[in-house]
Amino acid sequence: MISIQSLKKLYKGTSVVDVPDLVIGQNESFGLVGNNGAGKTTLFRLILDLIRTTEGQVLINGKNVQGNDEWKSYVGSYLDENFLIPYLTPEEYFKFVGKLHNYSAEDLNNFYQKFEELFHDEIIGKNKYIGDLSKGNLKKVGIAAAFIGNPQVVILDEPFENLDPTSQIRLKQLLEREREARGITYLISSHDLNHVTEICERIVILEKGKVIKDLKGDNLLGELEDYFKA
Amino acid sequence: MVATLLSHGWKKLSRSVSFSKELTTTILLTLFGLMFLGYSLALGFALDRIITNGLKQEDSFQFLNGLMLYYFVFEFMIRYFLQNLPVLDVQPYLHLPLKRSRIVHYLLVKSMSHGMNLLVFILFSPFAFTAVANRFGMASAFSWILTLGLISFCLHYLVLLFKKGLDDTIWGLLTLVGIFSFLGASDYYGWFKLSDLSASLFAQTAQGYFLVMIFAFLFLSIYFFSFRFFLNGMYPEEVAFGKSNAWGKNHDFSFLQNFGSIGDWINLEIKLIIRNKRPRTILFLSTFFLLYGLVFYNNDLYTQKMVGFLLFIGIFITGIFMINYGQFLFSWQGGHFDFILTRPISLRQYIESKYWLLSTVTVICFLLSVPYVYFGWKIILIHAAMTLFNLGINIFVVMNVSMWEPKKIDLKKGATFNYEGVGAAQWLMSIPILLGPYLFYLPLSLVGYPTAGLLLVGGVGLIGIIFRSHLLDLTVRRLEQRRYAIAAGFRKD
Repeated sequence: MISIQSLKKLYKGTSVVDVPDLVIGQNESFGLVGNNGAGKTTLFRLILDLIRTTEGQVLINGKNVQGNDEWKSYVGSYLDENFLIPYLTPEEYFKFVGKLHNYSAEDLNNFYQKFEELFHDEIIGKNKYIGDLSKGNLKKVGIAAAFIGNPQVVILDEPFENLDPTSQIRLKQLLEREREARGITYLISSHDLNHVTEICERIVILEKGKVIKDLKGDNLLGELEDYFKA
Repeated sequence: MVATLLSHGWKKLSRSVSFSKELTTTILLTLFGLMFLGYSLALGFALDRIITNGLKQEDSFQFLNGLMLYYFVFEFMIRYFLQNLPVLDVQPYLHLPLKRSRIVHYLLVKSMSHGMNLLVFILFSPFAFTAVANRFGMASAFSWILTLGLISFCLHYLVLLFKKGLDDTIWGLLTLVGIFSFLGASDYYGWFKLSDLSASLFAQTAQGYFLVMIFAFLFLSIYFFSFRFFLNGMYPEEVAFGKSNAWGKNHDFSFLQNFGSIGDWINLEIKLIIRNKRPRTILFLSTFFLLYGLVFYNNDLYTQKMVGFLLFIGIFITGIFMINYGQFLFSWQGGHFDFILTRPISLRQYIESKYWLLSTVTVICFLLSVPYVYFGWKIILIHAAMTLFNLGINIFVVMNVSMWEPKKIDLKKGATFNYEGVGAAQWLMSIPILLGPYLFYLPLSLVGYPTAGLLLVGGVGLIGIIFRSHLLDLTVRRLEQRRYAIAAGFRKD
């Protein structure tokens, strides 16, 4: 699904991302873990063609993301508030994004139903602009919008941050359900080892832009804890 | 404590990312400021001579006093545009063990360090210490200038109160213009004479320090009133943006949906414009600019002798929105540029949506300017030629130059004297836009064919319109190359 080939990003001579070879398969749920400054967000931005690669390339479905708009119709993403439009209400924003994906009114309704639980009556019908929402609600709007267009790949940066415990649990269930139903590929970064091990079957530890460990198996949490203790 | 706060203020300025980037802006503004100061000082020294010799008034003191209240109304207007509310920078201090009252005092006192508070002294001290001192003595000169200074200081806080109360709305400005015209009209029709009132009021200053005491008392009262007012209004949520909720529920123009995704993006940008203060002000200003022609078109000097000058007016009237809004074409969406890059829209569609938005508004401006035909067909010919030039050439200049290191604009901030987003590109942009038409017009007009010159300008614009698809391609290609740098710049602060 996603294939990273000898990818390098240098800022003023120092390397922030250096991934020689990484392949993420279809329906895989891929977790990215690392301390602050490890290059998680930079890697995601490289995958989304938001920053220019210094070397190498990222292929989605066999096609280079650079200079190509096709992947945008089946990759949903939410990294930060730069992905939201502050002067729209959440409904207007969803409607707008829906239009970009040729959503019908019915599609949009189905979408609302799917996220009704997560929104918890705080997002829809409140007559508030996105710019006036709290951090947690911003996150919910952004994550929900990433699922518009029935994407095959969803990329989320720290999806659990700023969410209350109830929402965290609901989000986890939602992510699971969506993956089972449609075989989505997830790329999720998180500082919370518990959450990320619950959702992801494969976890990569990033440090100074390099892949330190590529873990699969039953004892993910234990291995991660061992690594970060040291 | 105050010293620490002041040093923080300086650090905030000097360490901000935009400081070095906006150096050009800062330098130019400083130059303008110095120029303005110099002119004011020169005017101040020449004041007595202008009034007695130039205007042939016998009693310069009485004449000047008669104008003084008008001057203060005028000063209030300038202050309204130049002064900013000092409140927004205090948020990081509110939770610290600092007395709120001390923060407010600090803010209010610091706000006094504004150039406008010097203006009255620069303009009138020369007059006070020459003309007034010669006639009534030094004491009266001090009394006169102190009175003026105190009134000016009162205005300083009144403007802050006014701005906070009316929060940058167009209504605030209209109220001001209303008061001003009412005063003028009353003088003109003789309901009451503000000039007489003004003359007799300030004549009192020659009699002693009575007026100084009154205005000193007034100044202190206004200061303490402002103090109470700002003390109660220091909650960040009250100075932030929530108020904009009042702006309409639905700004969708459904007919735009016929134009596919380009129409959707235009709809989005229309929402951006009407829901945010600064672009909204630009829109208001553009309608205001439509009246700009009235200043020039009923003056024979311009319509007969300086026809070439009217090209400027034509460009402004039809293109003011395109220029003013377009100079920050990408900066407006700096806060969600990443959104645009990750959603299924090609850069070609994105650029086209902007092209159609800007050109539609330009055409609307032209249509609205048609009544100027009252001043002669030539005016309309000029407007038409300039519209074509704006649509065919200038629009591409605007789009391409605005790609040059755009800076993010915080949409929550107001418009008055907000220089966020201004860089070298914005200063340079006006040169080709304004001089371009003359490149084609002047050669023909100098050899005696001004009308042919106009037609040529229009023709060049038309060629640009015909080849727009190609020009759009070039623009898209440039954006393709610049997109990473632009996006990185927007993420920075």
